[in-house]
Amino acid sequence: MGESIRIEQVAFTYPTGIRALRGVSASISPGEAVAIVGENGAGKTTLARHLNGLLHPTSGHVLIGDWDTSKHTVAQLATRVSYSFQNPDDQIFERTVRAEVTFGPRNLGFSADEMESAVQDALSQVGLLSEIDHHPYDLQLSQRKLLTLAATLAMRTPIVILDEPTTGQDAPGVRRIAEIVEHLKAASHTLITITHDLDFAAEHFERVIVMAGGLIIADGPAHDVLAQESTLAAALVDPPQMVRLALALGFDSIPLTPEEFVLALKNKSGRSS
Amino acid sequence: MIDVQNLSFSYAGFPGMALRGITLAMPKGQLCSIVGPNGAGKSTLCYALSGFIPHFYRGVLKGTVRVSGLDVAESSLGELAGAVGIVVQNPFNQITGARFTVFEEVAFGLENLGVPRDEIISRVAESLALTGLDSMHDQSPFALSGGQQQRLAIAAMIAMRPAVLILDEPTSQLDPIGTREVFGVLRRLAADQHTTIVLVEHKLEWVAAYSDRVIAIVRGQIVADGTARDVLTSDLIEEIGVGSTRLTRAARLARAQKLVDSQAALPVTLVQTIDFFEQKDR
Amino acid sequence: MTIPFSLYAPRESGLHKLHPLTKLALAGFVALCALVLPRAASYLLFLLLIVPLALWGRVFGRLMSAALRVALPFAISLLIIQGLFWQTGPILARVGPISIKLDGILFAVSTIGRILAILSSFVLLSLTTRPDALMLALSQRGLPDVIAYIILTTLQIIPRFQSKAQTIIDAQRSRGLETEGGLLHRIRALLPLVVPLVLSSIVDIEERAIALEARAFSHPGTKTSLFDLSDSLPERIFRWSLLAIALIIVVVRILTLRSA
Repeated sequence: MGESIRIEQVAFTYPTGIRALRGVSASISPGEAVAIVGENGAGKTTLARHLNGLLHPTSGHVLIGDWDTSKHTVAQLATRVSYSFQNPDDQIFERTVRAEVTFGPRNLGFSADEMESAVQDALSQVGLLSEIDHHPYDLQLSQRKLLTLAATLAMRTPIVILDEPTTGQDAPGVRRIAEIVEHLKAASHTLITITHDLDFAAEHFERVIVMAGGLIIADGPAHDVLAQESTLAAALVDPPQMVRLALALGFDSIPLTPEEFVLALKNKSGRSS
Repeated sequence: MIDVQNLSFSYAGFPGMALRGITLAMPKGQLCSIVGPNGAGKSTLCYALSGFIPHFYRGVLKGTVRVSGLDVAESSLGELAGAVGIVVQNPFNQITGARFTVFEEVAFGLENLGVPRDEIISRVAESLALTGLDSMHDQSPFALSGGQQQRLAIAAMIAMRPAVLILDEPTSQLDPIGTREVFGVLRRLAADQHTTIVLVEHKLEWVAAYSDRVIAIVRGQIVADGTARDVLTSDLIEEIGVGSTRLTRAARLARAQKLVDSQAALPVTLVQTIDFFEQKDR
Repeated sequence: MTIPFSLYAPRESGLHKLHPLTKLALAGFVALCALVLPRAASYLLFLLLIVPLALWGRVFGRLMSAALRVALPFAISLLIIQGLFWQTGPILARVGPISIKLDGILFAVSTIGRILAILSSFVLLSLTTRPDALMLALSQRGLPDVIAYIILTTLQIIPRFQSKAQTIIDAQRSRGLETEGGLLHRIRALLPLVVPLVLSSIVDIEERAIALEARAFSHPGTKTSLFDLSDSLPERIFRWSLLAIALIIVVVRILTLRSA
C-alpha cells in the first residue's frame, strides 16, 4: 500500500533568509512508521512540508515514489501524500461534518460509493460518526481536530503525515489516535508524524528522526535513538518517561513502554536472584 | 482567595448543565491543577472563576463565586480584571495588537488599570525578567515564537499582580522547553507572590510535578480532590478518561505482577517512581 | 521596533518631539491651504513649509522618495492627458498631428502642486509621528478607546491575516484543491479559501475580545499612559493660531472668489 520517500540532500531557505534545512537526507521505505522529533524551529515542519510539495527544496530533491515533488503540483501529490495540519480552523469550511470529510476524496476523484465508504470509515475511526450531519463548529476544538484527521484519513493515501496529532487531546482522544495509527500501520501505509509527545512516539513509531538546527542528528530504530540521552539533550528534547526511569534505575536494555519496562524488570530481578 | 459555593451553570441555548453544584475553596499561593476529559466543564469553570461567565458567555448561573473578595456575578469584567487574570490556549490571540513592542504590550494592562507611569515601568521590567523575556522587550509581539508569545501573555497578566491567575491549557501548543518555562514561572508565582493559580492541563507528568493540589472534573462535577499523588494514582482516574502517567502505569503493572510490594503507594512523578522501584530492592 | 503599514522613522529631532496634535494640525493646515489657495501657492507651501520641516525632522530623504514615488507617475500622466486633451486656449507646441495646450499644462501643474503639498504633508506626519502616540493624543481629547484600538490593531493584524490566508491555501491544496487553472476552477476554489478565513477570524476576534477584557480594557476610571506626551503652552497657542490663520485664509478666499 505505502510509497517510498527519498529525501536527498535537501536544503531550504525561506524567502526571509532563514536557513531552515541545511542538507538533510533520509530514505523511508513503504509501510514504515517514522516519528520526527526536535524543538520548535529545528526544521521538522519545514521538512514535512517538503513531503507533499508545499515547499520545494532550494537544493536537493524529494522523491515520493518515482515523483520528484518539484515537478508536480500539491494537488497531484495529494493522491499519494495526505497531510493532517495542526490547526483545524485553518481548513474547515463546509456546513456539515460529512461534507467536510468528503472534500478531499472528491478532489481525488473517488466514485460516489468510494466516497461514502471512505467518509463513514474515517468518521467511525475518529468517533465522530454520530456527528456526521452536524455543523463542524458545533464541535469543540479537540473534536474539530479529530474531524480534520478524519478528512485526511478519508483520502486513503499511501503516505500519511500527522502534524502534532495528540495536542490538546484528553486520554481517550490520545487512545483513539493511537488506534488510528496502529490501523494505518496494519494497512501498510507509510506514516510520518511530527510530535513533541515522545511517549506517544515511543509507543507507536518504530523509527525516530531527531532534528536540531535544520539538520538530522539521529535517525534509527526508536529503541536505539530514544535511549541516546546526549542526542536528545542536544536536540532539547525530553526522553520518554520509561527511558528516563530505566536509565535512572540502571537498566541495561531500555524499554519504551510500561509493558516493556515491567518485562525488563522481571528479567533484571530474575537475573539477580 | 477563591470561594465557590454550589456553582451551577448552563450555557444559553444549550441543553444540559455545564457545571453542577461545584463547591471549592482555594487559599493564597496554591497551585491547583484541574484535570478531566474534554467537555467536562474545565474551561467553563475557568470562565466562571474569571467572570467571563456570566458577563461574556450568557447562561443560567446559580450559586456564588467569590474571587479575591469580589463577587464575580456582581462585579463587572472591568472591575475583576485587576484581581483575576486569565491565560488561554492560543498564544497569538492573546496579543492585543494595540502595541508595537513586547514592553508596551505588557504595559497595556497596567495603563488600563491607571497605574502611575513609573510603577508601570518597574512592574513591566519585573514581569519580563520573571518570564525570561527581557532581552526581547523591544521586539514586535508578533515576531515571537508561540512559546514566547504564551510567556508574553503570562507576563502581561502577572504585571497586573492578580491575586488569582487562571490558565486554560496554556502549554497545549508549546514544545517541552516552552512547557518547562511556563510551569517554572507558575511555580515561582505561587511561591513568591502567593498568587493562587488554577491550571487546566492534560500533561499529567507536569501536573504531578508542579501542583499542590489536583481536582478532577467529569460532566460538570468534581469527582476527586487531593494531592497530585492521591488523585492521579487512584483507580477512578483511569475510568473517567484522564488516564495516568506512564510512570504510574509501569508501577501499577509491576505491582499487579507481584514484582513489587503490593502495599507500596503508587508513584506519579519520576522521583517517586524511582523510589518506588528501588524500595523493592531493600 | 517595526510598525507595519506605517512610515514612522524614529529620529532625534525637534519635530519628532512635538506633540502629535501639533503635527496633525500642521499637516491639516498645509492640506487646507493647498486646497484653497490658487495655483502656484501649493509649490510655495511645499518649498517654504514642508521642505524646511522635513529637514528639521531629518526625514527629507525619506519624504522625497516616498512623495516622488507616488506623485511622479501621477504627475507624468496628468501632464500628458491634460496637455493633449485640453480643448481651449493657446497651443504650446505641436508634434505632428498632436498639439499640446498651454492651459492644459498649467492646469496639470497646479493640480500636481496641490497633490504634492497634501500628500507630502501627511507623509511628513507619518514619518515623524508614531501612530500610537497620535491615537493616544486623540484619545486624551475624547476619541473613543475602541476606535483608537481598532485603528492600531488593524495595522498589525493585516500581515497576520495574509499569513493565515497562506496557511489556509496550503491546507486546502494538500486536500487536493487545484488552485491553478481556468477561471471557473479558481472561482470554485474560492469557497474553501474564504470561508475558513472568515470563520477562524471570528473565533480569533472572540478570543481577542476576552484577552482585551483580561487586560482591563473596560476597567472603570482614568487610564494612564507609558507615553509621556508632553504638550506645552507655546504648542497649544501655535495650534490655535494655525486654526485662526486657516479660517482667515478660507474666508478671504471665499470673498475674493465671490468678487471675481
